[in-house]
Amino acid sequence: MRIKDIINFLKQPKIFVFAIIWMMMLVVLGTLAQKDMGLYAAQNRYFSAWITWFWFIPMPGGRLTLIIILINLSFFFFKKSIWKIKKLGIVILHLGGILLLVGGGLTAMFSSEGNMVIEESAQSNHVEDYHFMELAIINTSASSFDEFTIFDQPLLKRNQVLAHANLNFEIEIINYLENCEPTKRNSPAGIQHKGMLKNFMLSELKPEKEDNWNRPGMIYKISNSGTNADGMYGIFLGQPISQTVSVNNKDYTIILRRKRTYLPFSIELLDFKKILHPGTDIPKSYSSDINLIENGAVRKILIQMNEPLRHKGYTFFQSSFIEGPNSETTVLAVVKNYGRLFPYISSIIMCIGLLFHLSQKLPDLFRKSKEKIAV
Amino acid sequence: MLIKLIFSILILVFLQSCGQDNHIRTYQLAKTKAPVNKPRVETPEKKSTGFSWTKPGSWIASSGSSMRLASFDVPFSGGMGDLSVIQLGGTGGSIEANVNRWRRQLNLDSQSLFEIEKEMIDYKGGLGDYKIIRIINEELDSAFLCAILPAGNQTLFVKLSADPKGIREIETDFISFCSSLIISI
Repeated sequence: MRIKDIINFLKQPKIFVFAIIWMMMLVVLGTLAQKDMGLYAAQNRYFSAWITWFWFIPMPGGRLTLIIILINLSFFFFKKSIWKIKKLGIVILHLGGILLLVGGGLTAMFSSEGNMVIEESAQSNHVEDYHFMELAIINTSASSFDEFTIFDQPLLKRNQVLAHANLNFEIEIINYLENCEPTKRNSPAGIQHKGMLKNFMLSELKPEKEDNWNRPGMIYKISNSGTNADGMYGIFLGQPISQTVSVNNKDYTIILRRKRTYLPFSIELLDFKKILHPGTDIPKSYSSDINLIENGAVRKILIQMNEPLRHKGYTFFQSSFIEGPNSETTVLAVVKNYGRLFPYISSIIMCIGLLFHLSQKLPDLFRKSKEKIAV
Repeated sequence: MLIKLIFSILILVFLQSCGQDNHIRTYQLAKTKAPVNKPRVETPEKKSTGFSWTKPGSWIASSGSSMRLASFDVPFSGGMGDLSVIQLGGTGGSIEANVNRWRRQLNLDSQSLFEIEKEMIDYKGGLGDYKIIRIINEELDSAFLCAILPAGNQTLFVKLSADPKGIREIETDFISFCSSLIISI
């Protein structure tokens, strides 16, 4: 009896109506808010969040609202009255809607995006995330390889202790700054300050509107190394000279960088071409001649605007370029989206559902219209 | 049974979205070789002051003043721009002081550091990270394109003076020139 009540409650069409109205309001609010708070922050606050706070009032965020819609649409199938040939079009339509939401869920949970920057004649096999950072501790002691221990962004927060079997020391994060700038130290550094902190401080700045304009930084403490490497250090994104420490005859380089994803293949930039509109500096089109190198096999490919390369689930779009004194550098936007095909498939299913429903209703409509004329 | 299955799937989806992995990864990569620099298209010019650069072919070296490390006449479609490279010890004054000095030269009001930094664009070149700012007075039909390049215990200031249209035309070459500046031994 109780389960039946739950089903009856969850399958109510008014849940769908209220949820879809609330989702529309979130879209409007998020669109307006992104002007002031930036696209990424607005996306996180209104669309990717489970709960959105309006002052002190918690309201469902975009993610929770879409889950509610998904549950409501799923429970539609518990209605006994829909399992008739007459309602087949409606059933197919709901199935398409569910598939669209599942695709959105897959995209939200598993997709990644970043960029790949390659100079002419150089190769790259990794993508740098637009938003997430990582702390890379690289043991450079071996002659032929480097051993990387990576701590992802969720671990980079105040008072977090980072430790791993690969490391002979612990790192305690004293402070993690979303946006900062190194400033010259006015007063002498304490004995505990090491590396760049001997001469500089990290001053916290207000986060920029666009997330990728921020320069994150971190104050951290190395302890339990049993050497004079113990002390307080500072690090920031794009630090020109990386911090190195030596512990028990092992050399470690510590870098705060954008999260890297290594690909099972490499891309070599052969040539970058830029065509300008005549008489202006405005690019008309740009393209990258690349070699796709995989398991020793080389394949020549041209990536240009609106003609991306799709390979192994990754899509490489021509995004931007950097002009250097000697050579040009291409910037490829790289997207991996497991839910890429879902909108296409679900749209087709929904169209089929609508057509089916219409084809069933048309004879009735024609009949009624004929009756009206006869009357 | 069906209810249980649906709820199990939803709980799994929820747990997955919470991210249960421990966010620590380890891997090994072969050591990367130091990048081999390609030969430059133009031979870098060396100065006894310890810097060298690669200038665009159309720029003509000019005498300038004694304060200048280098001077160039920079042709553009509407005339000739003047480019100067000045070397100062230390930071050569704050960014705010230098930019406001340039703004005053163009009869513009001073700005706060926050406003200035919003207009500055970061680049990376042979001397490391540096900043470029455009200062334009449309009323006077004059503009500066200025770069501040920290170089160890000194700072280089590169200033291009032209009209606003010229600044836009020369900007790409200006960035290439600034990026090409290196310390020569």
